[in-house]
Amino acid sequence: MAQKLQSSPILVKLLDTVEPTQSSALAAYRWTGSVRAFLIPALLGLSALAVSIAVGFAGFKEQFYFSYLVGWSFCLSLALGALFVVLIKHLTKASWVVALRRIPEALAASFPLLALLAIPIIISLFDDHGLYHHWSTDGISDPASSHYDEIVAGKAAYLNKPFFLIRVGFYFIVWTLVSSKLWSLSLRQDLTADPGIPAKQRKVSGWGLPLVAVTTAFGSFDLLMSLDPHWFSTIFGVYFFSGAFMAAFAFIALVCMFLQRGGMLQGIVTKEHYHDLGKLMFAFVVFWAYIAFSQYMLYWYGGIPEETVWFKHRLEHGWETHSAILLIAHFILPFLLLLPRSVKRVAPLLGIMAVWLLVMQWFDHHWLAMPVLHYEEATLHWLDLSCWIGLTAVFVSAFVWRLSRHALVPQGDPRLAASLRFENT
Amino acid sequence: MADTLTIAPPRKEAPLVTGNLGISEITQLVSYHTEKKPPSTWYLAFAISSTLLAMLMVMIGYLFWNGVGVWGNNNPVGWGWPIVNFVFWVGIGHAGTLISAILFLFRQRWRTAINRSAEAMTLFAVICALLFPTIHVGRVWVIYWTLPLPNQMEMWPQFKSPLLWDVFAVSVYFTVSLVFWYVGLIPDLGTLRDRARTAIRRKVTAFFALGWTGANRHWRNYEKTYLLLAALATPLVLSVHSVVSFDFAVSIVPGWHTTIFPPYFVAGAIFSGFAMVMTLLIIARKVYGIRNIITLDHLEKMAIIILVTGTMVGFAYITEFFIAWYSQVEYEQYAFLNRTTGPYAWAYWTMMSCNLLFPQFFWIKRLRRSIPFLFVTSIVVNVGMWFERFVITVISLHRDFLPSSWDYFNPTLVDVLTLVGSFGLFLTLFLIFLRFLPMVAMAEVKMVLPEADPHHYEEHEN
Repeated sequence: MAQKLQSSPILVKLLDTVEPTQSSALAAYRWTGSVRAFLIPALLGLSALAVSIAVGFAGFKEQFYFSYLVGWSFCLSLALGALFVVLIKHLTKASWVVALRRIPEALAASFPLLALLAIPIIISLFDDHGLYHHWSTDGISDPASSHYDEIVAGKAAYLNKPFFLIRVGFYFIVWTLVSSKLWSLSLRQDLTADPGIPAKQRKVSGWGLPLVAVTTAFGSFDLLMSLDPHWFSTIFGVYFFSGAFMAAFAFIALVCMFLQRGGMLQGIVTKEHYHDLGKLMFAFVVFWAYIAFSQYMLYWYGGIPEETVWFKHRLEHGWETHSAILLIAHFILPFLLLLPRSVKRVAPLLGIMAVWLLVMQWFDHHWLAMPVLHYEEATLHWLDLSCWIGLTAVFVSAFVWRLSRHALVPQGDPRLAASLRFENT
Repeated sequence: MADTLTIAPPRKEAPLVTGNLGISEITQLVSYHTEKKPPSTWYLAFAISSTLLAMLMVMIGYLFWNGVGVWGNNNPVGWGWPIVNFVFWVGIGHAGTLISAILFLFRQRWRTAINRSAEAMTLFAVICALLFPTIHVGRVWVIYWTLPLPNQMEMWPQFKSPLLWDVFAVSVYFTVSLVFWYVGLIPDLGTLRDRARTAIRRKVTAFFALGWTGANRHWRNYEKTYLLLAALATPLVLSVHSVVSFDFAVSIVPGWHTTIFPPYFVAGAIFSGFAMVMTLLIIARKVYGIRNIITLDHLEKMAIIILVTGTMVGFAYITEFFIAWYSQVEYEQYAFLNRTTGPYAWAYWTMMSCNLLFPQFFWIKRLRRSIPFLFVTSIVVNVGMWFERFVITVISLHRDFLPSSWDYFNPTLVDVLTLVGSFGLFLTLFLIFLRFLPMVAMAEVKMVLPEADPHHYEEHEN
């Protein structure tokens, strides 16, 4: 079946833009896992998605759209977070991270797949009960209409269906362009060890970083903030980034652990690398809290109804429990638990924290989106879980398959020797 | 094993210290400036800056005698230049602790050449910053009321006010920065003591060196302390300017009340702080002949940080502008329209070009390595950052909710001379620092020499 997959050109291009290069990988860097590593998540994911779509679309359409968006934006945030890791790595010439650089690179190569998975979100745009119906319903900007909304009408130059599609399309073109350039440069480095490649990677990262930063911020405005089109917050893009960056480090650590359990990357990714990943997870738990606090405190203190209403929806009818969980489990507990050095250096402990933070990243997106649909009662629908699991499993399966086609470590990078020797001093 | 696992030859990093300087040469090069008579440039600079300082004192005396009315502050612009200057100086005071704490945690070894003078500059900038709210309170003789001191009147400061949070945030920042700076100085003070030729110099340096002998145990304790202080100082770098931004953002004044303010102020602070470090060090490295320690590579790295933070600040300006329109709140929209086209449009566009456009020249490597261009840009950036605070403070206030009270703000001569005088205070302190203390962290620079690597002599047998 794996062979069959390789021969389907469209699917292959969608999942991995570069031809397989694993045959030229040094023995220590070869993927030696079984095909089950990506077939099982693929089957699990596709069946969970099939059930969610079949049952959800038929019976709980509105719920399905929102649950799907939360799962999808979780995967999108992982890919964007990983893209930021790669961009910043190249620009700062960081050497410690080189040994595990292939993981965020492969993760960031997911944008074509994510664009395909965005189809239900596009469909919902044209549905009167869809995700964005608060601004996309016909007549909302028509003064003669019964559901005319003056505020939304004022935003119509920005919040309208064609422009929304153009923007989201543009974001995906930027993300795909930057990530696939970095991906193919990195794989070329595996084959040729050309000493000119790091400079090219830096060049792409140089123009790539500002473009990706701006599109990430506006992407978060469009995809998540505009669910409640009356509300606005200038820090929203930074909020989205902070969670995405944190989740990317958690995901990278977790993937390293799985690969090592499968007998790969032995002696290559060490305690020292886990320690640094743990430090960055800790740092961005705190950074997320700083950004979340800034957003909340400034609106609470100002007390202007049009700004506080967004938080009011999240502090009543059961959503206050979700908000409290977010405060405790997305900040206070991981802050305390990630403080000790031992937690960051002992793989199983760091693994628990990584899973925890990934769950919280999803929970955070659930908290951002779901109160728009269920402002009258806090919910946790089974579709939330099935969509999340389904999308994440498909996303992970494509990622693992991509990893398996190439060396697991960028073997041609001149900073790899330093990364392999790296120690925290 | 590491080398057999790569197919590319390992990269040799460029040395951080150029000119083939050895360990004793670094000691000599840096310490000797604290021991000999300063160069004539120093005397000239000191004469000018202490004159400006004297002028500042006169202005403050004049202010205390007459009251805040000597400034241009009016109704509705209750916060004029003093608050602009306060935020300006606090911002400058951000580079030092960023360099010594955050860049330390990120293992940026190049920071060792510039951290000492940047931290000193930070302390002096914070002193200048603290001056302005202190003299702004009107009745300066009761400034201690800002502290929560128990008293029989049962009178407490307003804990809900970000102005009070500022008192705590800035004073904690100053204290921690001072301790951090001093801890870093201890090994170098030991060096100065060992080189001292006069009894009094030996006594003073010995007192401050805390019995430093360079013993293994001393180094162990020193490095632990340094790491812990770096970890404690890191959140402070973010918190201080965040709290300063709360002064504006918690109120509901259009143009102030926006959630991006905390991270955007922090980025701007780092931006202006690095520019000031660059201005000072371009002069100092030439006058004191330490161009092999603070190299062109160091200046280029600072230029990149200025480019990154300037672009972040510019992105924040654009986000604010977009969301002001998107919010559909007419007051927000007007505030931004007024910024770009109102009577202060000249200030807004000065800010935009200095902070967003000008640093974009640093995309060009040749300009990042051109000393005259770096020097000009570092000054342009600080002009831009002063105008940013002016734009935020004055433009939002001068046309408030009541059109009948709209007014144009004009600074008085006292405003101008007080700002100029604060540079006198800043530069006088910095010159005293250059005269008496090692301007480069000698011990730390030695740690990044190739010889400091324990395996160095295995690879280079000679």
